[in-house]
Order: sequence, then structure tokens, then C-alpha cells
Amino acid sequence: MKRIAAALLPLCVAGLTGGAMAATEADVENSFNPYKAGMPSFPGLKPGTVINKGNVDQFKDALGAGVYRLIKEGLFEIKVGATTQFSVHKAYVDATRTNLNKTKLGAKAGDMISGYVAGRPFPEEPDAKDPRAGEKLAWNYKYGVNWGDGAIISPFYWKYRNMQNGKLEKQIKWDFHFLNFMHRTKDAPVPEFTPNPSGIFRAIYTKAHEPSDLKNTQLLIQRFEDDAKLDDAYLYLGFQRRVRRLAQGQVTDAFLGSDLMIEDFEGYNGRVSDMSWTYKGTKNVLLPMWNHNELKLADDMPAEADGYKYVDFAGQGDCFFQGEWQLRKVYVLEAAPVNPNHPVSKRTFYMDVQLQNLNGANEIYDRKGELWKVFMVGKAHADHHLPVNKGAGIGVDDAFSMVDLQSKHCTTGQFKGQVDPAKNPPRLFQVQNLRGGD
Amino acid sequence: METFPNSSRRLTPIVAALSITCAMPAWADDLPALGEDPSPWQVDVTYENHTVNREHAGLAKFRNTLQAEFDKKAGNGWAVHGIMRGSWDGVYRMNSDEYGKKAGGAITTQSTTPGGLVNSPWGGGPVTYSLVNGAFGLVNNAFVDSYGANNPNDGLRILGDRWHKTNGGVAFAVPVRPCDEDKRGCRDFGGYGDQKLSELESPEFNDRLDFVRELYARKTFSLGDGKDLFVKVGKQQVVWGRTDLFRVLDVINPVDFSRNNIYDELSDIRIPMWIAQVEYRMGASETMQDRNLQFVWNFDKFRPNNLGQCGSPNAILDAGCFFRGMANLWDNGGTVANFANVAPGTLLATNFGPGQIGLNEVHLPSWSLKNTQFGVKYEGVTQGGLSFSLNALTYRSQLPSLHGGKRATNSFTGEYRNAWPYLISFDMHYPRVNLLGGSMDFQVPDANAAVRVEAAFTDGEEFANTAKPELYSKNRVFRAVIGVDRPTFIPFISETSTTLISGQLFYQHIFDHEWQRGSLGPVGMPDWENNFIGTLLIKGFMKNGTVSPQIIFAHDFKARATAMAPQVEWNVTNDLKLTVGANYKLASGKDRWEFDDCRACNPFAPFTAPNGDADPMTAYSRGLNGMEPLGRFRAGPIGAAFKENDLFIKLNYKF
Repeated sequence: MKRIAAALLPLCVAGLTGGAMAATEADVENSFNPYKAGMPSFPGLKPGTVINKGNVDQFKDALGAGVYRLIKEGLFEIKVGATTQFSVHKAYVDATRTNLNKTKLGAKAGDMISGYVAGRPFPEEPDAKDPRAGEKLAWNYKYGVNWGDGAIISPFYWKYRNMQNGKLEKQIKWDFHFLNFMHRTKDAPVPEFTPNPSGIFRAIYTKAHEPSDLKNTQLLIQRFEDDAKLDDAYLYLGFQRRVRRLAQGQVTDAFLGSDLMIEDFEGYNGRVSDMSWTYKGTKNVLLPMWNHNELKLADDMPAEADGYKYVDFAGQGDCFFQGEWQLRKVYVLEAAPVNPNHPVSKRTFYMDVQLQNLNGANEIYDRKGELWKVFMVGKAHADHHLPVNKGAGIGVDDAFSMVDLQSKHCTTGQFKGQVDPAKNPPRLFQVQNLRGGD
Repeated sequence: METFPNSSRRLTPIVAALSITCAMPAWADDLPALGEDPSPWQVDVTYENHTVNREHAGLAKFRNTLQAEFDKKAGNGWAVHGIMRGSWDGVYRMNSDEYGKKAGGAITTQSTTPGGLVNSPWGGGPVTYSLVNGAFGLVNNAFVDSYGANNPNDGLRILGDRWHKTNGGVAFAVPVRPCDEDKRGCRDFGGYGDQKLSELESPEFNDRLDFVRELYARKTFSLGDGKDLFVKVGKQQVVWGRTDLFRVLDVINPVDFSRNNIYDELSDIRIPMWIAQVEYRMGASETMQDRNLQFVWNFDKFRPNNLGQCGSPNAILDAGCFFRGMANLWDNGGTVANFANVAPGTLLATNFGPGQIGLNEVHLPSWSLKNTQFGVKYEGVTQGGLSFSLNALTYRSQLPSLHGGKRATNSFTGEYRNAWPYLISFDMHYPRVNLLGGSMDFQVPDANAAVRVEAAFTDGEEFANTAKPELYSKNRVFRAVIGVDRPTFIPFISETSTTLISGQLFYQHIFDHEWQRGSLGPVGMPDWENNFIGTLLIKGFMKNGTVSPQIIFAHDFKARATAMAPQVEWNVTNDLKLTVGANYKLASGKDRWEFDDCRACNPFAPFTAPNGDADPMTAYSRGLNGMEPLGRFRAGPIGAAFKENDLFIKLNYKF
């Protein structure tokens, strides 16, 4: 009898976590507007505060551990801005309401969810006592707004830098395209592209324009609705003029020699089931979020015909974007790879509650458990960026710094993100498109 | 001795072309606008120096290439892409003793005697007109006593001396100087074989306008409902298949092996052709994630692979030398080593006159609608993620076929006939070939690997075959490659970047393969009925991808020949790349390469019958063998180049 009870216990827990704690309208409201009761605060912190090596300890609890270490080591300093609303598009919020409590977790961690239609699958506040709270947040991220139903970054500059001397080793000029094939809420067709027999949920397509040895290199990643299914990835090498299917291992490889692996894209670019997710608590943390048009922008970048200017970089080795950081309500989330041979032992995310993205200030730990890299992606408010982005209802990724603390090296990114469905036709995300180029 | 004024004059068109490309960035804005879109011309100009030092030969390449790649988004959805490429290889002047105007020299010719191998000056017989007339009273014989001023013993090398000794086999003289210096044996074999020094130095500036490397326009027409029509028209490369190095399906464009043998990326050595391709991109269906139907019409005038002119550093299989030597034999005659079997154990060098043996006509298909080439490919991705293609192509063989038993004058009697079965009197043809094939790739998650498979069946290819009176046969062929790519963390190379380990196994089977044992040795087809070639690539990435060491191994199992090509690539800056490397070959199967050379084919019966032959009135091969000329097909491109070990340095700079 005791054995039966022990066997039933996990099922009971699953039932409790998956269904018993039903989310409410208030949860939805709190999830998309966590600042309804007022903006967060931290002692001594106010807009205009500059946090540097000298005063960082005073704000240690308002910083991610990785960011704290970077500042403590004098590698850069941050300027604090006011906390602002990054309202998610109404269509996504409405979809969350319409489909509230329809999503159920699988029987055990790593299993596919069921019942998901659209919007944020688990809008309720995570409960530290819920052993699967982290997993729910991971699903929220997978089906989050991220780049909305689709967007393009064109161009997208990556720079490889020696952090010790600032030497620019390589610069890549890309286009990045993102498209959700399913669970769409805003752009036609809603809710999905059909037919879609493989069940592609989302795809990322990239094409390099510079330097010459990478020119016309293209990457296509197809992620499937079925989380148990491995991503399909294809690489077109311009110098070979041939499409190569990538083996799965290459997503944890230093992508084209950069400090990023494909798995790092957008904060985390992998399956939910590839990681063991743990919710570590809720707190207020500084994240890089700003109004692009109000920043002092770079004057050393190629000119854009529309006058667009990129976020500037400075700090040690010019590895750090120069944008404002604002105090945000975050969920601290840890992800440990299921695969013991994974080069990463743990990722720590500070998930912005309002956007539920994962890329504000991430820590990546090596297999020995040492802090290896800090990945920071600054987000611009869509209404204070390019005109085409006005009303997009997402946080527009605007600049990134991937800092390798062990090799003293960094890769930086400067975005021109455009939420423009016309520039993102589904045919770009077919393998054949890779072959049809130059 | 090359004089500066001459050099200057020949370089003028190259300098002009390079000036144009150099100037591109400056006046890119002045290029004509295409359509309504104001997007400017995008022009990238790169310079490359590729310098090679070859064991035993010295400098084997000092090639300077300037390339301008330009793109323009024209109006109405059209885009234009072009690549202009011009090069100048200084090796012909800097190592003129080996590859230029002073290459070659006077040679000797070998005879086999009971006392051993004996060398005598080329042109000196001992089998001559006088000897045959005196010994047999054949007053009308067509042998010669010597060669005149039009065929001197100068500027010559012995066929095959780049990769083997004569050693009692067939050999003859090969003129090796550029064709404006020595026109003997010069023929247009299809873009090579008749080139002057300036054309060897700057091969892009020819009548096919190869300096326009690519120039095409493309557009995607939306048909609605997720379907598109993709059109790409112009001078271009169309790449089929999924494997590296091997060309099983990738046969739409011919390849220029003269550039760097098999050691350059195919995209650099495919010869772009004027092609129209149309793809009906159907997108997904209820059962397939992607479906595409492609039609490829190569409407360009036929071009074969460039196998490299004899006397230039890269003559794959040494074929260009065989062709040139044979053409010279036809045109001017020449001494053939170890030929006349006048007594047991005695094979004497023989002075053939013109029009008796050799290579006469080259039949390059002219432009006509029926000579164009057409292909269809269906490419798709299944619901389960299997990516595959089905391919069909009708094309012209890019490798030449020598049809023997042709017209000639009987060396012994002086009688002319339009056909002499089994006679090594050849014409060169490029037969039509039909191909059916397919390819696929998929992941093997448990092995963390991606697998690529490619296979093709061809009908119409021709092979040397000494069992046939025409000395060739048509055979159907099956080829397949399986490749496995596995990214692997190798900590001593890099702890953050995987090292790519990529292995491939190529298989070829020739149907209806003929091979039989004659009285003196094997007779039939020198190509192996079944052969495997394996390749292994190990490529690492260090220093954030700026340093990339790699090594490629290739092993021809039947030829027992191996190539190793290590190199290190260093991206010094975004615009400057240095590559240092080598290729080194090993061959342990040289004794397997010798094959029937048709010395014992007895085309001029009974005079050419082997000494003591039981059937001296019948022409057929008895199988007397040597390394030339057919050993090259058994040695393959690795074995036939096993003495060409290279060290190289390459510099690329983008302006």
C-alpha cells in the first residue's frame, strides 16, 4: 500500500502543479503589467545613477551576479534609467486571456505540454514550492513574444574583440530573420501557416554579407512544435555553394568562431526538454532596456539610408553597449543541461516578468561550474525605435555583449531590428531558399 | 629570354582589366541604375596571391588574382550578381625552365634488349625507314630515318616522366613549351591544349570571356498560396548533390583542374556556363514540408573539363601530355620507345612518320539546340525531416573519349585506310551521357552526426577498352558517396569550438566491365570495375575562429595511392587571410597501374604481331603492358600526381 501511495505521489504533484493552481484574470494582469502598483525601487538607486567599480557593492542585490562581477572588475559601468512600461502587444495578451488554463504540463519534466493554443501558457506568478515552476517559465519563454510573430534584423553587425586590448578581430554583417509558423497572434495568417506537416513552430534564417570569407553563408534553424523533436539546422557555405545539414552538436559549438553558440541565440535557443529548469525566486534587478532614440548612438558605424544609427559601445575593449539599465521585476531562472557532455553546466537567467524574455543579463557557467560568459542583450522600446516598429508590442533587441571572462574576449552585436512582416516571407525559411542565392 | 617590352605588351590587357576592377569601388556609384530601386551597386574587390613550391620542379605557381564581385538589387524584384576575375601566373616566366619557353629539352628514347634497357637519342630509331626497307624490302614503308626542323629533339619531355620511369614501356616525346613557342601537338581539346604563354599566364582572357566569371539575374515570382517561381538566368554555377570533393551529381558545370588540380574548392574551379534555371517552389503540402521542382537548361556552347595543358604545372592524370604527345605523333610523327618486337625480349624504339598513329581530330560539340544540356531535379523535405533530391540530367561528357582504330597510313606498306581496327589512331569525342540520381541527408542524433548520401547512374560514358577494335566501349556506371559529418570537441585543439570530422566513402561500379587475360597480360578496360576512394577531413577552429588548422586525407583503395593535405588558415584581420599548407602523396600500388598498351594489338598484320605470335594475321590485343598510356586511369588523379608534392602559401586581401 505504501508503494502505491509513493507511486501516486508524483502524479498528485503533477496534477496540483498542472491544474489545481488555476491562473486567474488577475494573474494575467499582473503578468503583463507587473508595475500596476508602482515602479520598483532600490535604496540609493535612481535615474541617472552611474554604477561603477567604486559603488557597485551598494547595488549588488540589484544586479545579476555576472553583471556585478563585470562592474566589480572595472570592465564597464552602467547608467541607470527610469523603469518604463514595455507593454506586450494586445493580441498576445488577449490570446493569453482567451486560452487561460488550457495548457497542461506533461506528466514529467521534459514532456511536451498539451492544450496550448496561443499567448502566454502559464501567466500565473511562479510558486517557489512548485517543483515545475521553472519549467513553466521555460514554456512561457518558448511561446513568448520574443520577436513577435516575425521580424528581421537587417543589418546585424557582430564584432569579435580582444577584451584586453580592444583589437577588433572580425566583423560580420548579417541579416537575421525570425518567423513563428504556429501560435501566431498578430500578423496574418493567425494562428498559423498551413500546411505545416512537420509541425515547425519557429524558424530562424540568417545570411552573412561580410566578411568575404563568410559572404553568403546562410543558416536555417527549424524548431518544432514537438519539443521532443530535435531542431533541424542547415548551413549554406558561400565558399562551397552547398547546403550542409548540421549535426545537432554544432549548436553548442562556438558559432563561426564567435563567443556565442547557436544555443545562446536570443538568450536560449534550444528545446525546453534539453534543460532542467529551476525557478530561484523573484526580485528586482537592473536590466538593459531603453528608448533607442534617446541614446547617444554610435558615430563609427556604416551609415544607413534611413538615417538609423546603432547603439554605441565602450568600456573595456569596447565590449559593452552604452544604453541605460532600468530596475525590472525579474524571475531568476536556472537551466542545467540534461546532457552531461554539454559544455555548459548551468545558465542563469534574469527573466523580465513583463516580456518574459531570457536575454537581459545571463550567466553561463562552464563544466567546472566557473562563470564562463556573461550575455547581455539590451532591449529598446518598440515605440522609440524605427517607425516601422511602433506599436509592435515587443522589446526590440538592440545591442548585445557576450563577454567571455575566461578568455578575456567578447563578441558584440548591433541590431537594426524591424518588425515588418513583408520582409519575412515564409519561403525564406525553406531549405531551398538557401540554395537559390549567390 | 623574355624581354621586358614583350612582357609589357602581353600584360596590357590584364593590367587594363585589373585597373577596371581596382577602380570599381570608386566609380561604383556611376554604374547604370537598373530598375526603380535606388539600392546602390555593392562591389567587393579581393586580391589573392597563391604561391606553390613543388618538390623536384621548384616554383609551380605564382598566381595573382584580382576579383570583383558585384551585386545590385534592381527594380521589380530582380537582382543582378556578377564576378569578374582576372589572374596572372608568374610561374611561366619565373620558372621558365620547367614550365615556360625554356621547358623541356633533348630527350632519349628507350629500347628493350636482351642485354637490358638501352637509351638512344630521340629520332634515331633504331627502327627507321631504312632499317625496315633493308630488312624486309618494304620500300613503301612510312617510317622515317629522322625528323626535320619542324620536329626537332628540343623542348621535349618523355611522356609520363613526371610520375614514372619508362621502364620498358611505351613512351614518346611530348612538347611542353607554350604553343606560341612550340606549336607541335597543339590542339584545342576544349579550352586548353593550344594556349600561348599569355593565355597560360592569364587564362581568363580568352574567347569565352572567362574574366566574366559569373553574371546572372534572378527573381522570385510569387504565385500565391505559398508557391513561388524562382528564375535565375545567366552565366552561373548550378550545384547539385551533397558531397564534398566528389562530383557524382555535381556535373552540370565542367571543372578547371588546371587551376590547382583537385586541391581547390569546387566553387573556385567550376567553369560557369550560360544557364537558365527555373524552380517551381511549391512549399509544404499535407505530407511534405518542402517541395521544389527545378529545371536547368545549360544553353551555353559545350565546354569540357580543363585537364591542363601539357607543360603547365597542373595537368591532371598527365592527360594533357598524353593528348599533346599523341597529336604530335599524328602531325609530325615521332619515336616510340620499346615498340618493335623484332625478337624475343627485344622491343626497339621506332621512328613513326606522320599520319600513322596518334590523335588526329578533336570533335568538340558545336553550339546547336540538340547539343545543349538539360536537367530536372525534384528536391524535398519529408514530414520526418529527410531532405532528398531526385535528379535527371542529359549532358555531354566533360571528359574526352578517344575513339581508336581510325584512319591511318600503314607504317609498313604505306597503304592508307579509313579504319584500322585496334590501331592507336584516335579521334577525340565528348559523348552524350544521361544521368539519373538522387541524394539525401539526415541527422543521426545518437551519434551526433549528419549523414549525406548521393548516388547516380549514368548511361553513355565511354572508357578505354583494348578488347574492342575501336579501343573504347560505352559502359553504364553507378557512383555513390556516403558522407558523415561529426562535430567533436577535441580539447587540445579547442575547448569551445568543435572540430569537424568529416569522412566520405566514394564507390564506383562500371557495368559490363571487360577484363580478360591475354597471352601477354591483361586486356580490356584499365579502369577498375569496382573502386572505393575514402576521404577524411579534420578541421579545427582556434582563436575565435581566426585560426583554422585542417588536414584532408584521400585514399584510392585500388590504386593504393594516398594524398594528405594539411593547411592552416589564419584570418589576420577581417580583410587579410593567410593560408599555409602542403599536399603530399604516397603510392604503394605502382605495380598495379601497368596495363595493356596495345603494342601487341597487331593492327598492321602481320608486321606488328609480337615475335613468335601464333596468330600473326589477326588484329587484337595480346596484352603487352606498361605504365603508358593507360596506367593513368588505374593510378587515378592521386597516383598520377604522386611525385607532385607541393608546399604553398596563399594570401587573400579584400580592399
